[in-house]
Order: sequence, then structure tokens, then C-alpha cells
Amino acid sequence: MSDAILELENVTMRFGGLTVINDVSFQVPRGGRTALIGPNGAGKTTIFNVVSGVYRQTDGVVRLNGAEISAVPSRRRIRLGMARSFQNIRLMPHLSVVENVMLGQQARTRGVLDMITPLARSSWQREAERLLDEMGLDSYPGEVVATLPYGIRKKIEVVRALAARPKLLLLDEPAAGLNPSETANLRDFLMGISARGVTLLVVEHDMGLVRSLCDHAVVLNFGSKIYDGPTAQVHDDPQVLEAYLGPGHAASKPHGVAGDAA
Amino acid sequence: MLLLQQIVNGVMLGSVYVTVAVAFTLTIGILNFLNFTIPTLFMLAAMGGWALSYWGIPGGLTGPLPWPLALGIGVVLATFVSLIVERFTFRMMKTKYGDSTEHAIPLVSSLGFLLVIENMVRIGYGTDAQRFKGPDVDLTLDLGGILMRLPQLLSLVAVVFIVIALNWLLRSTRIGRGLRAIAENPDAANILGVDTGRVVPVVFMLTGVLCGVAGALFAINYGEVSPQMGEDIGTKAIAGMVVGGLGSIWGAVLGGLIVGLTEMLTIHFFGADTVQVAVWGLLLITLLIRPQGLFGHHSIGKGKL
Amino acid sequence: MSGYWAGILSILAINIVFAYGIYLSVATGQLNLGGAGFQAVGAYAAAYLSEGFGLPVYVTIAASAAAAGIIGAVMAFPILRTRGVYLVLATFAFAEVVAGSILNSETLGGPTGMSVPDFIDWQVPVVAAILVSLFVFYLMSTRFGLAMRAVHDDETVSDLMGISIRATQVIAFSIGAALAGLAGGLYAHSFSFVEIQVFNALLSIYVLLYVLLGGTQTPWGPIVGAAFFTLLPEALRAFLPAIKEILVGLFGVTGDISNPDESWRFVILGALTILMMAIRPEGLVTRTMIERLTLRRGRTRPETEASA
Repeated sequence: MSDAILELENVTMRFGGLTVINDVSFQVPRGGRTALIGPNGAGKTTIFNVVSGVYRQTDGVVRLNGAEISAVPSRRRIRLGMARSFQNIRLMPHLSVVENVMLGQQARTRGVLDMITPLARSSWQREAERLLDEMGLDSYPGEVVATLPYGIRKKIEVVRALAARPKLLLLDEPAAGLNPSETANLRDFLMGISARGVTLLVVEHDMGLVRSLCDHAVVLNFGSKIYDGPTAQVHDDPQVLEAYLGPGHAASKPHGVAGDAA
Repeated sequence: MLLLQQIVNGVMLGSVYVTVAVAFTLTIGILNFLNFTIPTLFMLAAMGGWALSYWGIPGGLTGPLPWPLALGIGVVLATFVSLIVERFTFRMMKTKYGDSTEHAIPLVSSLGFLLVIENMVRIGYGTDAQRFKGPDVDLTLDLGGILMRLPQLLSLVAVVFIVIALNWLLRSTRIGRGLRAIAENPDAANILGVDTGRVVPVVFMLTGVLCGVAGALFAINYGEVSPQMGEDIGTKAIAGMVVGGLGSIWGAVLGGLIVGLTEMLTIHFFGADTVQVAVWGLLLITLLIRPQGLFGHHSIGKGKL
Repeated sequence: MSGYWAGILSILAINIVFAYGIYLSVATGQLNLGGAGFQAVGAYAAAYLSEGFGLPVYVTIAASAAAAGIIGAVMAFPILRTRGVYLVLATFAFAEVVAGSILNSETLGGPTGMSVPDFIDWQVPVVAAILVSLFVFYLMSTRFGLAMRAVHDDETVSDLMGISIRATQVIAFSIGAALAGLAGGLYAHSFSFVEIQVFNALLSIYVLLYVLLGGTQTPWGPIVGAAFFTLLPEALRAFLPAIKEILVGLFGVTGDISNPDESWRFVILGALTILMMAIRPEGLVTRTMIERLTLRRGRTRPETEASA
């Protein structure tokens, strides 16, 4: 078994005449924390959509645990150990917080009995509440999601993904809308998850979080990969600087400037 | 020979359905809205025309009006009510979450209007069918053994004219371009400068006129109106729209004629009771096997629904 | 209890069961405009077995639910492949085909209808309504109920969470059809007569509207909707004469007024629908409302110190 939990090989995604992802290949090391970054429109969320099966790639191969999953329907992929969150929060607005989290557990159910036993006061609910507590959301379980603030809902989405007990966690901008202390909170939480063996693949714009959380970074620009290596050296890469700051910046290498580009 | 006559009758009958089917398909094609008020507008024009020509204006302001004026006012009434429907169904719609049933908010609202209008007419004028006294002359043309009533033929011609005019409107005028833009993508249309607040009511106005004219023609042709008359026509018109393909005007034309034909032939071969099964069965099968109908791919806005 | 109010209670109970039948579809995201079709299947199944074979009531009523449920399951597969407005039209068309077929069926009495032996008193529909309510509350509290509501809110995400959208929709639709059929069976034995003209398009429209008015987010909605619709004429009877006087004074009424009470009921239903869709499309009873009313936080463990 290769030591990459997820592998993209020559993946291309075209919508009609528009090529959103162009011949992208990279590996996500098992147990690691990889960042997928790039300017807006670079194709990062599309990569997530291809990996989770929302789109079928036009060309190329996606492998999970060494096995090709292109033919696996999107519904089944979560059972293979992969879970994700969404860039625009996609929680069920009329359900309570704990119900949304329990939705994440869906893929772990076995058989009809699991589907027809009441959820209230069940072990599923206790587990969901425990997860919420770990994220600091213990005061919310019964609240209907639609009434809650943005930052809280972002966190709930992460908890929902965790409820699936995935081996690979795809997070799409988990820190968007969070203040610095919440972001630090999130970082510690995710480090804890990582310590338990879950592989993280994180799309983010917050370079501070990226640098402190992820050791590996893949940078996309206009659908093509322009960097694949240690996070520490991302800012030294001339192509990356040019992508974020425009041409002519490769010569000067101000530290931390790339992190401010959003 | 009798069969040929029935076929001709079917086409004539179908021409009534065509106008209403076009109204349905226009609204669905441009606004993605199945407007259940449409059959009621049809009824409103016809009943309004009857009430005005029989009683005069409510409250006893005038005596009975001459039938052309009465029908004309009926059409205006239908158009006016249609604009009210726009104000309270479409314009007030708030999509919050984009879930599976939200697209249907205007549809449900239009059902509400259907109930209100139909029942208010019932309250005011009872549930009985009424005789409408139209033109005193009844010219029947005899073309080689096939009988065609002149008013029916004129209706068919009027329908063709309306459809051609509509197509011209959509293709060659600024408003028409706006309508097609909204059909493709309402948000993009807004950004591109189409004033949806002014253009959308045009659809409802056209709907009102189409249904009103259909109602008036029906009253002249068949001489009978009732508060329930919209229900039957509505059914057949929807079937015509689906068979022709949602959003396609020529589809609605062909579909309406096909439905009229189906109806006549079913009556001829199997008797009047089977019409319901035949027409709705046709509709159901079309929806299940070929939902895009005959011309669905050439509809006003692609990629709908 | 007086015969009059017993009759109202019967109708209310039947309407509640019928409402739950449509509720299950709508809660999963499919507007079912074919309710009358399934109710007709149930009513005629009960009538036929009762009149033709003399089977006892508990058998015929069970059969009414089963017949409608099976037909619903069979029709669900092709119908639920359609989406949006096509789905609404397909359910509508289905109900019309059912009505048309029964109209032409000699065995089922055609346009003249069928009489139904074995009258059931108001207690039977009421017990049935209570059992059905409990059943739906239970169903919505399970993972399957969660799946239903998830599919309603966001199909893409539900799919990614591992839910089979198709299976969820088909099962919910079929159970809903069975409940509508059950309402039909109860109707048949409560009114001792079935005629197809009752099970028309307007009936499908009414039940859908009052389910939507009641609220589709929780199982309380159908009860509220059905109660409103059933009891509205009673309220109108109390207030209508006064309203009619005012309107006669304002507009002058011409022609006969046949069944004005019936008509007013539908005017109000229609007007409320328009109002609801404009300002509160979720319906009267919402999830938030229930949460506020019960002040539940739904915890299984005692609250620890709140953070975040």
C-alpha cells in the first residue's frame, strides 16, 4: 500500500469549454496535514468536488488508499473513510445542531435497525454531543441551526464531518469568518485530530493557519499546480509569489506578504 | 368521412387549448413557474363577458352591455387580475434556503388564487353553467362534406396569428430579449441590465391577454360559460404544454392540437367517459418516458428544472 | 356526543390521516398533488372487498392502506425520477388517471358509485388518527426521519453523507400513499358510500394546501392544518351571516348563491395560502417554534459550563 492516502494523477476537469483543473497530480501523505491553497478561482473547491464525487473528472485518476475510486458513486465514498466540509456552509437549516452532527454519522450505520430506532437519547446522540463539547459547542445541541451565527455554523460543519470518523478529512476554508482566537482554537483542535491519525487536507486562505497547521502544501493557480512541497518554503517560490502578487514580484521576497493575499 | 370530420373537430377543439397552453408554457419557460391561475383567468374573461352582457356592471351602474364590449372588458379584467397575481405570488417570493420545495412557492400561491377567484365567482353567480349570447349569425362552412363553423375557423386563425406575434415579440424586440435572458438565467439577466421588475410583469400581462382572448373565443364558439369551465380547459392545456415540451411555444401549439385530436378520437372510438383517462394517461406517460416532450430541447430557456 | 359533532370528529380524524399521507412526501421534498388518487384507491379497495366479498372491517381497512401503499410504491419509481414541476404534474396526472379508470369501471360502480356495508362509528377514525400521529412522530424521530428531512433540505449534501436519496424518497412516498389509502378506507366505512366524483383534483389541492399551511417542518403541522380546514366551516357558520350582510350592502349580489358556505371556506383557504407563501412559506408550525415552546435543549447529559 502506498503511503499516500489520496492521490490525484493527471486529473483534468472541464465544463464545456472551460478548463477548471488542468492536469493536476499530487499525493496526500497518510497521517499528514496538507494544505491546498491558491488564489480565488484556482480550482481548489473543484478538486474537492472531484475527490468527493460530486463531479466526475474529465480525465485522470483519483485513488484512495491506492485504489481507484472514479467509478464509486459519491454516496459510497464517505463509507470509504473520507468526509468533507463546504466552503459555503451547507448545514440543514431546519434541523438542530445535534441532528446535523448526527447526519455525519449516517455512513457508519449498519442495517435497517439503525434506521428505525429513535435518535433521541440514543448512543448516537450522546456521541454527537460529546463531539460538540470537544469543539466548545456544548451550549447549542438543541438549537435550530438557522438561528445561529456564521462562525458557530462553520464549526458545526467540521464536527459533522468528524462524526463520520473519517481517515481523511477534507476541510474547505474551515477558518473563514473566525477571529484570531477562534482560529487558534481551531488549529489546536485540528492538531488533536491529526494526532489521532486522521489525515487532513485543508483548503485555506488564512496563511497563518496554514503555516502553523500544515507541513505540506500544494498550490494551484488557474487550475494548474505550481508548487508541491513543504509549507515553510511556499513563500520562497517565485511562481507562488507571482500567482498571488502579480508579475515582477519574484525578485523581492518579503516575508509574510503572501499570507495577506486573500 | 365521419372520422375526418372528427379529426377536423379535434383540431378546432385543440385550437382553444393552444392559446392557454402557450400561456402556460411561456410562464414556465421564462419564469420556471407553473401558474395554476391560468385556467381561472380564462374563466374570468368568459364569465366576466357573460355577466356584463347579461347583467351589466355590478352594482347596477349600467344595463347589459353589448357582447363585444363585454368580452373586451372580460379580457382586460383577466389581464388585470393576472398582474395582481404577479404582485402577490412572484414578487413577494423569498427564497431563503434553496431546498427542494422552494421552487414551488409561486405554484402553491397560484393554487391559492385559483381557489379564491373560482369560489368568489361561484359566490357571486352560482355554480350553474350560463348561456352566452354571442353573434346572432352562425355561419357554417361546408368544405367538401366537412363542416366547420366560421367562429371556430376564425379562432384557429387568431391563434396562429397570436403565436406568430408572440414569436416576433420574443425574437425581435428589446422586451423579448429581456424575457429570453431571464429565461436563461435570472440572476445573470439582472446583472446584465435587464430590469426584471419591469420585464417580468410583461409575462403576466401576456398571460392575461392570452387566457382572456381564449376565454372570449370559447364563449363565442360554444356559447356556454360556467365557473368550472377553466378546470377542464386547464387540464387539457397543461397536457398540451407537456406533450409539446415545457417552454416551447410551437410545442404548445402542436401539443394543444394533439390533445384536441386525442380527445375527439377517444370520444369517437371509446365514448366520452374515457377522455379523462386518455388525456391524463397521455400526459403521465409523456412525463415518465419523455418529460421534455416534443420540442423541450428548443425551449425558451435551456437547462431549466 | 351528538350525531353532528360525531360526524365532524370523524371527518377531522380522516383528514388528519390524509394530511399525514401527503406530509410524508412533502417533508422529503416532493410536492404530492395526487393525494385524492391514493385516497380513492383505498376507499374503493375497502368498498369493493366489503361489498363484494363481505370481508370484515378490519380487513378491508388494512387492505385499503396496503393497496394504496403498493400502488404508491410501484408508481414511486417512475414518478420520482421526475423533478420539480414535472413531479407535481406527474402526481396530478396519476390521480386523474386513477379517477378516470374508476369512472369507467363497471365492477367499481362507475359514475354511480358503490355503497359500503359495515358502518364504523367515530371512534374508529379517531383511534386510527391517534395511532397514525404516533407513528409519524416516531418515524420522524428515527434516522430515517432525519434522512427524509436532510433530503428535503439539501440533496447534494445528503448524498455525500451516504444517504440514498432515491430509497428515502420512494419509501416516504409509499408510506404516505398507504396513509392516504387508509384515510380512504376510513372514509368509505364512515360514509357508507363512495363515488369517484369526490376524489377529484380539488381534493388533492385542498389537502396539499392545508398540509403546507400547517407547516411541514414538524409532525405537528398536519394536525394543525387538518384541524383548521375541517373546523373552518364551523367557525364560518358562526360568523358568516354577519359578513354576508356587509358584502351584500357593499356590492349587491346577483344570481343564486348555491353552497356559499362551502365556497367561503375555500376562499379563505386560498387567501391564507397566498398570504402564507408570501410571508411564511414554511407554514404555521416551524421547528424553531416547537423548540421555543418546549424549551428543550435535547441534551442527554446535564449541561456543563457553557463555553464558546
